[in-house]
Amino acid sequence: MNRRNALRKTALLAGSAVAAPSLFSLLQSCKKQSRLEWTPVFLSEDQARFVSAFVDTLLPRTDTPGALDVKTDIFLDLVFAKTYDAKAQENVVNEIKKFNEECKQRHGKVFADLNMEDRKAVFKSKEAESPKFNPKVWGTAVGEQKPVGFYRSLKSMALWGYFSSEEIGMKHLNYDPVPGEYRGCVPLSEIGNTWSL
Amino acid sequence: MANFNIDAKQNMTYDAIVIGSGISGGWAAKELCEKGLKTLVLERGRMVEHVKDYPTMNLDPWDMELRGGLTPELQKKHYKGGRSGFIGETNEHFHANDLENPYTEVKPFMWVRAHQMGGRSILWGKQCYRWSDLDFEANAKDGHGVDWPIRYRDIEPWYTYVEKFAGISGDPLGLPHLPDSHFLPPMELNCVEKHIKSRIEKDYPGRHLIIGRVAHLTVPLNGRGKCQYRNRCDRGCPYGAYFSSNAVTLPAANATGNLTIRPFSIVQSIIYDEEKGKASGVRIIDAETNEVMEYYARIIFCNASALSSTQILLNSTSNRFPNGLGNDSGELGHNLMDHTYRIGAMGVVEGFEDQYYKGRRPNGIYIPRYVNLDEKTKSDKFVRGFGFQGGGGRSGWGAGANLEDFGGDFKDSLMKPGPWEFFITGFAECLPYHENKVYLNKDVLDKWGQPTLSIDCEWKENEKALNKQIRQDAKEMLERAGLKDIVDFDNQHEPGFGIHEMGTARMGRDPKTSVLNGTNQVHACKNVFVTDGACMTSSSCVNPSLTYMALTARAANHAVSELKKLNL
Ligand SMILES: Cc1cc2nc3c(=O)[nH]c(=O)nc-3n(C[C@H](O)[C@H](O)[C@H](O)COP(=O)(O)OP(=O)(O)OC[C@H]3O[C@@H](n4cnc5c(N)ncnc54)[C@H](O)[C@@H]3O)c2cc1C
Ligand code: SF4
Repeated sequence: MNRRNALRKTALLAGSAVAAPSLFSLLQSCKKQSRLEWTPVFLSEDQARFVSAFVDTLLPRTDTPGALDVKTDIFLDLVFAKTYDAKAQENVVNEIKKFNEECKQRHGKVFADLNMEDRKAVFKSKEAESPKFNPKVWGTAVGEQKPVGFYRSLKSMALWGYFSSEEIGMKHLNYDPVPGEYRGCVPLSEIGNTWSL
Repeated sequence: MANFNIDAKQNMTYDAIVIGSGISGGWAAKELCEKGLKTLVLERGRMVEHVKDYPTMNLDPWDMELRGGLTPELQKKHYKGGRSGFIGETNEHFHANDLENPYTEVKPFMWVRAHQMGGRSILWGKQCYRWSDLDFEANAKDGHGVDWPIRYRDIEPWYTYVEKFAGISGDPLGLPHLPDSHFLPPMELNCVEKHIKSRIEKDYPGRHLIIGRVAHLTVPLNGRGKCQYRNRCDRGCPYGAYFSSNAVTLPAANATGNLTIRPFSIVQSIIYDEEKGKASGVRIIDAETNEVMEYYARIIFCNASALSSTQILLNSTSNRFPNGLGNDSGELGHNLMDHTYRIGAMGVVEGFEDQYYKGRRPNGIYIPRYVNLDEKTKSDKFVRGFGFQGGGGRSGWGAGANLEDFGGDFKDSLMKPGPWEFFITGFAECLPYHENKVYLNKDVLDKWGQPTLSIDCEWKENEKALNKQIRQDAKEMLERAGLKDIVDFDNQHEPGFGIHEMGTARMGRDPKTSVLNGTNQVHACKNVFVTDGACMTSSSCVNPSLTYMALTARAANHAVSELKKLNL
């Protein structure tokens, strides 16, 4: 093997690993993160309290874990930090502020400080006034998607964060990474819950 | 798998050079190597070895930091192709870098490219349908474009040949205009798809709803495993169950001992030897070192994908070919086609609440073309036709975002499957218009200082009329099948969204109006073959890649027999 070849082989190896390194180091830190010592990456302390209260109102603990149990808020903070550009981040900050101001006006306190009854009243009116998502075909919305507003978009992200978590995906939904076969008609009673993947 | 020979430094001269290692290039490499030719495959991207280089193939959402999301940097890297909605954390490494490889949209055009070993064969949807004489005779019959120099009988044995090796699953139907392939057992329709099939076939004699015909193994073949129904194909398949160059054709080429692969090799142009009146080799730029080098061969297969092959030909100028290799007709770069995309309807299916399915089937349903087949089905609004893809399934937790509900019961209800939904979306044939074109742009250069492409393409009246009919028919079929909450849609996507770009170096009978002859040879430079989408004379309404495979195997066979006769 000549030198040039050796160089190329090294480059090839490096090239094939593209997605891996940054991914795993950070993943570790997120999974290990315990709620008590959580320091948000993007959100301020007050904003983080808002997001935690929001996901807890939406998906509280029942017989199954709640959003806080599976760290949905911690995940959403990461999503804001890592997948939003500066403008979108600024928008999140403004929207949280607006949401809290509305709560103060109507109920006298920011969302996180409201009791469950008041939080539910806020969610109810938000549900009624927020536009909906258009259906999707192959990953993109069909027709012209009007903005759904902050409430519904955060709701949708919270659902994503909750149901794509390891705890829910593996233990509560029906987890079958390698089905091995496709059967088109199976009694639901044989399967139970929704497939997780 | 034996290691690939990537040492192209020792030897600058080969029997054959193949430019590009995607669906068509992989086939060219396999056929030429198996026929004994020392073959050099030049690929502009990095090496991607089957299994070894599929870093995300087994990851669950929670194994990924962003569970599929993309950072703003990666969004920018894919700021053009990302419009497709197909690029995420699981597969972005198999999509080309739009920043390093700019192109200019004179009119909106989405160009989805994959620059690595295997090209888009890693990413494709694997829908495989034979074309028929309805397609090969279309131009001659209605006068659009030029006549194909071949008919179905010319390509029929080559379809069979490639299907036997690639592995196509599907259900025979006996339709003359959608000939059956050599099939492996079909995948299964689910309850709701079966139900809608029976409704549509009863209400509309002549219409059929079938399971998609796909390049997936439903039984093991040649050491490759059968599909495990994980629907994670665009990350690479650990079982080699779907057709890709990486899993199928390149290993076969490699097994002959005749293959050399050189990654990071951007073919800049084909070298024309004025004295001999044929091509002598290619000029490449090493993507890592920027070094310019030349490789020589007796025949050259151009398989860089439709628009990239055309770009190389346009960039290959000489005294004999001042406007690009083989461009005596002035048609090089013209007659760009795609399929129209994402026009259809969807709705909710009532009943079947006690039924579900098992497995994530990487396939949907297909409704073959039923208009303009004969006098009886003739439309007075448009020529050519369309087919539908689609499928049915039960909604999951994602549907919760739109439900006016929240709280504990809401959460627990989302653990159960929601209502059945079903959709169909049309793909319409696009006519070859001379004005729909690509040309070299010397003002916008890529990362390696090379001229790039400007793309100037739009849908015209016939495509718009087809789309209108698609939307209307889709809605009507779902209504008559009894669906509820029907939404019909036309997303008015620009060309390119179909990811079936074709034309720009078309085959034809007359060198004055076409670039390639009936065996994919450049009319005036016979040792250059173009067998990717560039060669297409019309676009049909069915997916094209199976036809590229068959045309490539056929052209390779012709090339070797001509070489033996010393005609090249
Ligand atoms: C998401 C998706 C879904 C699809 N679904 C289907 C489907 O269901 N059915 C169907 O029939 N088709 C489908 N397609 C289209 C299909 O992928 C293409 O038609 C097919 O891959 C084209 O094969 P090709 O050999 O022409 O080019 P490609 O597979 O694109 O390969 C071209 C190769 O050439 C290389 N190259 C380019 N320029 C140069 C250069 N200058 N020098 C050296 N190398 C170069 C590239 O890096 C690449 O590796 C789909 C595509 C996508 C992206
Ligand atoms: S669905 Fe089948 S072909 Fe696709 S990755 Fe899974 S096993 Fe492979």
